[in-house]
Amino acid sequence: MVNVLKAPAGVKLALMGNEAIARGLVEAGASVVTGYPGTPSSEVIMTLHEFGAGSEVYVEWAVNERVAFEVAYGASIGGARAAVTMKAPGASVALDPIVSSAYGGVEGGLMVLVADDPGPHTTQTEQDNRWLGFLAKLPLVSPSSPQEAKDLTVSSFDLSERIKLPVILRTTTRVNHSIGEVRLGPIRPPKKASLFKKDIPRFVRAGMLWNLERHKWLNKQLAAVEEVFERVSTVPNTVEGSSELCIVTEGSAYNYVAEAVSELGADVRVVKLTLLYPIPKKFLSKALDRCDKVLVVEELDPYLELVVKSLLAELDARVTVYGKSTGHLPLEGELNRKSVHNAVLTTLLASKVAVSTQSHSVAHQDVRIAPRPPPMCPGCPHRNMYIALLMGIARAGYRRDEVPVFGDIGCYALGVQPPLEAIWTEHSMGASISMAMGLKVAGYDKPVVAVIGDSTFYHAGVQSLVEAVHKQVDVLVVIADNSVVAMTGHQSTPAWSELESGRRSRPVPIESIIRAIGVDYVEVVDPYDIDSSIATFETLLKKPGVKVVISRHPCALMEARLRGVYRRYRVVSDRCVGCLACIRVTGCPAMFFDGSKVKIVEEDCLGCGLCARFCPYKAIEVVKLG
Amino acid sequence: MVKTVNIAIASVGGQGGLTLSRVLAVAAVLDGLSVRTGETLGMAQRYGSVVSYVRIGARVFSPTFSESEGDYLLGLELLETARALRLLKPSGLVIVSDTIRPPVTASLNREVYDKNKLVDYIRSYAETLVVPAQKLATEVGNPRAANMVLLGVFHRHQDLITDTSMRKAISEVVPPKWLESSLRAFELGLSFIEKR
Repeated sequence: MVNVLKAPAGVKLALMGNEAIARGLVEAGASVVTGYPGTPSSEVIMTLHEFGAGSEVYVEWAVNERVAFEVAYGASIGGARAAVTMKAPGASVALDPIVSSAYGGVEGGLMVLVADDPGPHTTQTEQDNRWLGFLAKLPLVSPSSPQEAKDLTVSSFDLSERIKLPVILRTTTRVNHSIGEVRLGPIRPPKKASLFKKDIPRFVRAGMLWNLERHKWLNKQLAAVEEVFERVSTVPNTVEGSSELCIVTEGSAYNYVAEAVSELGADVRVVKLTLLYPIPKKFLSKALDRCDKVLVVEELDPYLELVVKSLLAELDARVTVYGKSTGHLPLEGELNRKSVHNAVLTTLLASKVAVSTQSHSVAHQDVRIAPRPPPMCPGCPHRNMYIALLMGIARAGYRRDEVPVFGDIGCYALGVQPPLEAIWTEHSMGASISMAMGLKVAGYDKPVVAVIGDSTFYHAGVQSLVEAVHKQVDVLVVIADNSVVAMTGHQSTPAWSELESGRRSRPVPIESIIRAIGVDYVEVVDPYDIDSSIATFETLLKKPGVKVVISRHPCALMEARLRGVYRRYRVVSDRCVGCLACIRVTGCPAMFFDGSKVKIVEEDCLGCGLCARFCPYKAIEVVKLG
Repeated sequence: MVKTVNIAIASVGGQGGLTLSRVLAVAAVLDGLSVRTGETLGMAQRYGSVVSYVRIGARVFSPTFSESEGDYLLGLELLETARALRLLKPSGLVIVSDTIRPPVTASLNREVYDKNKLVDYIRSYAETLVVPAQKLATEVGNPRAANMVLLGVFHRHQDLITDTSMRKAISEVVPPKWLESSLRAFELGLSFIEKR
């Protein structure tokens, strides 16, 4: 396998956007890279770990995005080149220090990767972080392909150092998770901390006059960004064509535009922006000169549409602008080849006929295909935890529909799928505990439960637990501890003693945190021991105060990978009556109904034995493997 | 000028659809072609419906394609292949493994799928090659190499990527431990002729 971090300049490789960004960080000489895992951003740091960025570079996951940003910012004010990676909601977690950083500014280049998710594919909202530019007053650039993602990573550092501000590299899933051909560039040695010069008015935000002065400084810097960007960026803003029919676009949306224009053989001017904040007014005014109609093609909010309209108004140009607000493109979801093709056709080319977005019909309409939402994996300890919790609720004398289970973000949110349908909410990192508390203090008279994963607890659950303990709220908190950040691809947590980079680390056990906070009851259970888990939940649900159950068993996939599978289960056909109790209780994806009996897919079973525990006919038996 | 070829890969998360798209992308770049893929990644996809898009040509921009634009649909599972048919042109080619993995939602409702009925359904849409990929992969001692069997069958039915690049791409993408069996699975796919 080619080492993408060490391959020489000039080589052309097939790289995923995030691998290209990882390479870009090495080319730029970043010496501190940190972040919190989140789809679609995780593979940047994973690639640096996999191929070994080198001992000169600090590459580690942080406890959350806010801490990650502050670590990177601390490095950059000391002259180091630093980067931080996060998914869209992570930018909100880090927003406080991000906004303040615009006032202090940087010395070494600082790049903030924020990966948005139009679709959405794996994110709770379709948050459009292009607004971050306006909000935080920081330069924001957007690539359209893996090649541009790599090149812009390098250029972000050059821009950041010259303009002395952090630069946001804002991507979308179709860039981060798209493979494309990428030509590599030369590698610069890591730029480490040189000197942190004490400068109180610059770095201390406690003086209001200093803050006012720094705000003036910031606005002066922003006014210079366009010119500096044009000088240093290897991915420029571009104009192709000179037609009076114009398109303004950026990022992944550009790809659909490029193909639509070429396939339609249309004479259209295409203006592609890379610098999205501050708005490159000089460039854009010239690029839009003598446009008669403008179609704005972008994903998520009508951000560029507002920008273009306001600029055209400033220029006193009477131009019709089409886009999301005219209904020619959707306000939600991703764009695609056909939606953009049709928008070009019906606006600029004034065609009444759009291409059909329907597929042609299939003869046998009688075949119904059941949906396949992602379930919890076979052997997943979260499944056992939920079953024990729901049974514990029943044994404690409550109905399932009167004890709300507040969920949180991670694999265990998949417990929302049938047959368990265990959680009532999934909101934002750490919200399970505080939202459960909110319901309780509002006077809810039945027990409330919060379920939160180990990594999510470290990330944002600790403060919520402090709040619940301090206010003496009756709440049962279940920490579903599978020893890893599982959903995003098995990253380390603060409980690890050795990290992906090889660094030795000091574990920060969940128990120590909980005991220090001072909860009323703490129990540690192994969810694979389902009966004692049920008993624990039953007992604690009846007690007052803050009760914490650490439900601890390693992620089954990780365990199978590390230790192999040493037993599986099989259905004894003679004994199976096809009652489906096993599937109805567990919803395990390794099991299926063949019309009369249940079958277990041999290679998928990881040997948890939960199905055997709930088979009333003892028709499922263990098979020990060598 | 090379015409852009659109390939959709339908699978159940964890079956190796991602490896398949990666091999195709690497092979295309080795041949000096332009490539874009569109993927959904992460543990969150395991045992869920997954479609990967691969587009290869002289100059490709879009990472995905729309309904009825696919030239090939490679399916690692029959239900997911049937679900993804809308992506294929009527003149396109389906290459599908004869594997069925009923989703939990179906079993909960006692729904059962008939393999022949599913295959007929897929055939009614486009020309279809049904491959006993799982069986062939098991023959080479690597049941997870059904994706490489399909790749072999696909390779015989395309003239975009050279033999050398395809094999080199497999050896770059597949971990050393599984390489030999993967290459053998690829060979079995290459020499596969459907008996009907």
